[in-house]
Amino acid sequence: MDNIEQRLQNIFATVFPDLPEQRLKAASQDSVDSWDSVAAITLMNLIEEEFQMEMDFDDVAELTSFSKIHEYLKGRLSHAAV
Amino acid sequence: MKLAEALSIVHKTSADLPEFRVVLACGVTPLHLENYFAAHLQSLRADRKVRVGTGLFGDLAGTLEQLRHQPAQAAAVVIEWQDLDPRLGYRLLGGWGQQRLADVPATVSSMLQRLETAVHGLPNSTILAVSLPTLPLPPGFHTASSQASGIELALERSIADFAMRIAARPSVRVVNRATLNLSSAPGARYDFRSDLNTGFPYSMSHADVLGNALAVLIAGPAPKKGLITDLDDTFWAGLVGEVGHEYVSWDLTSHTQLHGLYQQMLGTLADHGVLVAIASKNSPEVVERALARSDLAVQRDKIFPVEVHWNAKSGSVSRILKTWNIGADSVVFVDDSPLELEEVRAAHPGIECLLFPKNDYAAGFAFLQRLRDLFGKPALSEEDSFRLESIRVNQELAKTNGDAGSAEHFLASLDAKVNLEYDPPTDDKRVVELVNKTNQFNLNGIRYTEADWQQEATASGAFVIAVSYSDKFGPLGKIAVLMGTKKEESLHVRSWVMSCRAFSRRIEHACMSELFEHFGSARIDLDFKATAKNGPTSEFLSQFSENASNGPVTIERSVFETKCPRLYHQILTTHG
Repeated sequence: MDNIEQRLQNIFATVFPDLPEQRLKAASQDSVDSWDSVAAITLMNLIEEEFQMEMDFDDVAELTSFSKIHEYLKGRLSHAAV
Repeated sequence: MKLAEALSIVHKTSADLPEFRVVLACGVTPLHLENYFAAHLQSLRADRKVRVGTGLFGDLAGTLEQLRHQPAQAAAVVIEWQDLDPRLGYRLLGGWGQQRLADVPATVSSMLQRLETAVHGLPNSTILAVSLPTLPLPPGFHTASSQASGIELALERSIADFAMRIAARPSVRVVNRATLNLSSAPGARYDFRSDLNTGFPYSMSHADVLGNALAVLIAGPAPKKGLITDLDDTFWAGLVGEVGHEYVSWDLTSHTQLHGLYQQMLGTLADHGVLVAIASKNSPEVVERALARSDLAVQRDKIFPVEVHWNAKSGSVSRILKTWNIGADSVVFVDDSPLELEEVRAAHPGIECLLFPKNDYAAGFAFLQRLRDLFGKPALSEEDSFRLESIRVNQELAKTNGDAGSAEHFLASLDAKVNLEYDPPTDDKRVVELVNKTNQFNLNGIRYTEADWQQEATASGAFVIAVSYSDKFGPLGKIAVLMGTKKEESLHVRSWVMSCRAFSRRIEHACMSELFEHFGSARIDLDFKATAKNGPTSEFLSQFSENASNGPVTIERSVFETKCPRLYHQILTTHG
């Protein structure tokens, strides 16, 4: 598990405390009932806090699963590294 | 606090704890203000599972009005300008400018009136923490932002008048905006992006500070009760034993004003019911001459006791605590010597030790503010003015220890009156305050929220007795509370506390005697449970029952009447 994935998993565990650890990486808006608009904004704010970045609200609407957010972060952070 | 930490605190607290139900009433989307508020409140109330409910967003007044029908144990009310008139926010396009905003003060006044009516409609048992607008007004006024416009000044006046009116209620606590400004820079509070996209207008740092400010008003730490101070280079500048009593100083001319301000602060604290004592390594006669100076900024008789000798200060502190009859964790010790502070701290874990910042103006300023925060209380009570005098009388009583004849003579000479008020008004805050603050004479250590207490006290068959005491030395005020239930043959006492200020006067005996007399019961069952601090209660009960070491205790009337010492009180009864 890469560092980004681990940190993201911690964030998911914070926002969805009732979700079993093994289900975190498979989480999506469709599969997690508590993933509502408040949870989506909280995810965004925690990601901004953890990765010291500002996210675009238009992007957030597309980030509907753990894997999509993971890919998004890898892209954003690799650009930042360049 | 980071948001992740706040969420973690909220989620990790056991759901098995008794609930502490709180409402967060705000017009804006509560989002992370709710999280931070819950986290700070949870940190302050580790014994409860905090549950924060929110009303309908955008309808602050409606949420407050709902509270009348679904009372909570406490509520935080967060008012922003846009709640008073949506034109004062950024999410609606109602128009700005001098003409369009001309009626804003009237709209704001009207909304504040509605909020005030809602606040007055709430039960006194619901603690209300109120935050006045923390975010800036929009730029829709005719002046440059460096100049306050007439409308802005009118709005500020309205909000200040509103705050003064609601703060007169004992259950209302208003967030101090000046203090909030120190913790949360006004320019860094508003998050324009978040407000426009989510309706949550606060930066994370401001949500954190505001959430904490509200939580502290609802469940902040208990104020300290006593302050023990050193003298040389603390109470005054200079070593009195070396320079003489005329040359220690505390004034502007000598550049020692901080010491004068400290004395003035001690006088202020004493006026507010804080106990002040001295622990100094000096010659007593030299110190007495200095303390007799007429230019002291604190009245000499406000300080008691005064421990002056050359022995360890930890011993002085022990004797002072015994005289005051309070624990070290309720006391602050101030000295300019780190060594002395350490010696006292080692002997009295729990005592708050403060270094007097004698040569540091910035630290001196912060020190005075710190004293305010350590001793600040939501409201002053009548009892605050009796505290010191009652301790002096206790000292007189203590001197009779070991001399039964002398003790009996002293008690007989007190002209003591015990007033038992049956079923006092349910909004008498002193009753629950006593129950929750008293440790030593406390039947079982159970604490109650005001709402829980009201529920218990108004249950079928329940009784509450608030006990006041006075003698020839003056009144002690309300010093004891009993709560229980009347049964056919017996009486069941579930809560019984008595202030340590009232010890050694046989008031507890008088209460027990009156219970038997008033209710005509053959026995009294008491929900006694030993705690770390209620040894005096156990000692009292063990005079009349052999099973007073831990569990519930039953006292038979015949046993009580045989073993009760002679009582000299005049008993008065009233009904609330």
